[in-house]
Amino acid sequence: MSFTAIAVDIILNSLVLGGVLLIVAIGLNIIYGLSRVMNLAHGSLYALGAYAGFTLVASGLNYFAALLVAPLLIAVVGLIIERVIIVPVRKRSIVYTLILTYGLMFFLDGLIKYFWGNEPRFIELPQFMRQTLPIAGTHYPVFRLVTLLTTAVAMIGLMLFLGKTKLGIILRAASSIPEMVSCMGINMTFVHAGAFALGCVLAGIAGVISGPLYTIDPIMGHEMLISSFVVIVIGGLGSLRGAVLAAFLIGLVQTLAEFFVTDLAMVIVYMMMALILAFMPRGLLGEGRFE
Amino acid sequence: MSEMVTKRRSTHPMKIVALLIVVTCLTLFPFVVTNRFYISLVNEMLIYGLLAMSLDVLLGYTGLLSFMHNAYLGLGAYVVGLFLIHVAPSSLWLALLAGVVVTSVIALPVGWVQVRTGGLAFALLTLAFGMMFYTIVWKWYSLTGGDDGLMGVPHPDIQVLGITLGSSGNPTTMYLLSLCIVFICFLLTWRIIHSPFGAVLEAIRENEERASFVGINVRRYKLYGWMYACMLAGVSGGLFILYRGYIGPTTMSAFAGAGVLMMVLVGGMGSLWGPIVGAGIFIFMQDYISTMTEHWELFVGLVVIMLVLFLPRGFIGLGDYLTRFRKE
Repeated sequence: MSFTAIAVDIILNSLVLGGVLLIVAIGLNIIYGLSRVMNLAHGSLYALGAYAGFTLVASGLNYFAALLVAPLLIAVVGLIIERVIIVPVRKRSIVYTLILTYGLMFFLDGLIKYFWGNEPRFIELPQFMRQTLPIAGTHYPVFRLVTLLTTAVAMIGLMLFLGKTKLGIILRAASSIPEMVSCMGINMTFVHAGAFALGCVLAGIAGVISGPLYTIDPIMGHEMLISSFVVIVIGGLGSLRGAVLAAFLIGLVQTLAEFFVTDLAMVIVYMMMALILAFMPRGLLGEGRFE
Repeated sequence: MSEMVTKRRSTHPMKIVALLIVVTCLTLFPFVVTNRFYISLVNEMLIYGLLAMSLDVLLGYTGLLSFMHNAYLGLGAYVVGLFLIHVAPSSLWLALLAGVVVTSVIALPVGWVQVRTGGLAFALLTLAFGMMFYTIVWKWYSLTGGDDGLMGVPHPDIQVLGITLGSSGNPTTMYLLSLCIVFICFLLTWRIIHSPFGAVLEAIRENEERASFVGINVRRYKLYGWMYACMLAGVSGGLFILYRGYIGPTTMSAFAGAGVLMMVLVGGMGSLWGPIVGAGIFIFMQDYISTMTEHWELFVGLVVIMLVLFLPRGFIGLGDYLTRFRKE
């Protein structure tokens, strides 16, 4: 393989990985930004999304239809969780919400194991997505390109939603000055529930698109949770632009690490996270904030 | 909160009697129940109890949340194991000392970085450093055995003043050694927590800003609290490897770490014996439910959710609630 082919391969792979990371991390970020809840069960919701996608496709639904339906199912699960479990502890110290969502993570993992068992699953892809496409001397799988496209569509959709619609503007305002928003006569209960549901939709999308990328197993969410923590910390808590930058950075580092089979890469990433937390707590772009 | 603090300060003679009774029962336990399985189970409870207690010094007294306190148990265990394998296979006390010293030396620069922050940033930092240690231990195959874990750790004899008391490979002897060390650490921690130093830590937990206004160097005291907690974790790591003779990287994972957090929560934050009780309950639950059904995660998760929602102060809180109820 020529040098350009390898370079194209690495760049595309890191974009795909970074894209999935970005969608999960932004979901986590939105939930934190609006309701100050650091949701440790987010990785499990992502895994639940992947399993929902698997079941929908296995029962005969089209892959793209599953991509639309599964996130909505996860959003419903998220709404139930938010109403029943998260609301009573919102006013308490962050330690309690952390431990509560940690218990929730265990519970969801247990549910996944109960319904789907331990063995790995694969999402059946439509015929055309199983082929490869020649790009600059390398044969790149079509489903990865579709994944990339889905990520782009989801991100653009999110940006338009947050930037142009009234609902999105309310959400953004509530994440910077919640008191003022509630003074404007907007019901914060709906804002919190909506933010949680939006985060869950994003986790569901990421779950379905990562189904063909990796194998689906009950612990797939754990690694993703830690990676998305790294992303939102490096990008700055609550900062969307920072998260985009950080996600592609981490995607690139992980892809390079896989390519050169080096184990040091993740150590460097964690070191970077530690240094940024300690000395630049507002993230790479200086937009994040801690409460 | 201040009311609670003063209440805890006074040492009722009944408390000392209760402590002595509990210790006596624990000492007699391996002679009454001779089943090796139960002795090992209670031994594990004691070791994790020590770890949970050390985390509580950080969480319940200083108000700092550590997600991966088990990383320091792991570091202590690996150091003691490697010392016994490569340096001196028969010197138990030297190995334990090496474990504590190396754990502290590693924890010092980590703590120096960590105490610059607080709250959520501190918690995420412990995650970053813990994952770093976990990855290093997992990937450094030639030293730690990687995924397979550290195997073939010798069981040295336990000697006090030249008298051999027995091999640490014997569950009963090992149990008594753990009990002895955990008890000493408990008394030491109790003394430290009830000294002016402990009061400073509690002041930092209650309000960092006000603590700094009265002239307390908040960062330095946070660092002291952190170092003490990591030292105790190192001790528990040494006991862990002696008791089990094996350690794998999963003991240091983030999810095992959150288990330790759960022990503190189940028992109740801000008391010393609470986390030990919590560790007992947690290990019993994990062990018992996993033999009953393979879906133990479902039950553990449910218990944690219920605890946070209905019993946020743990079983200690239940005790307080009952005594208040009786008075009324």
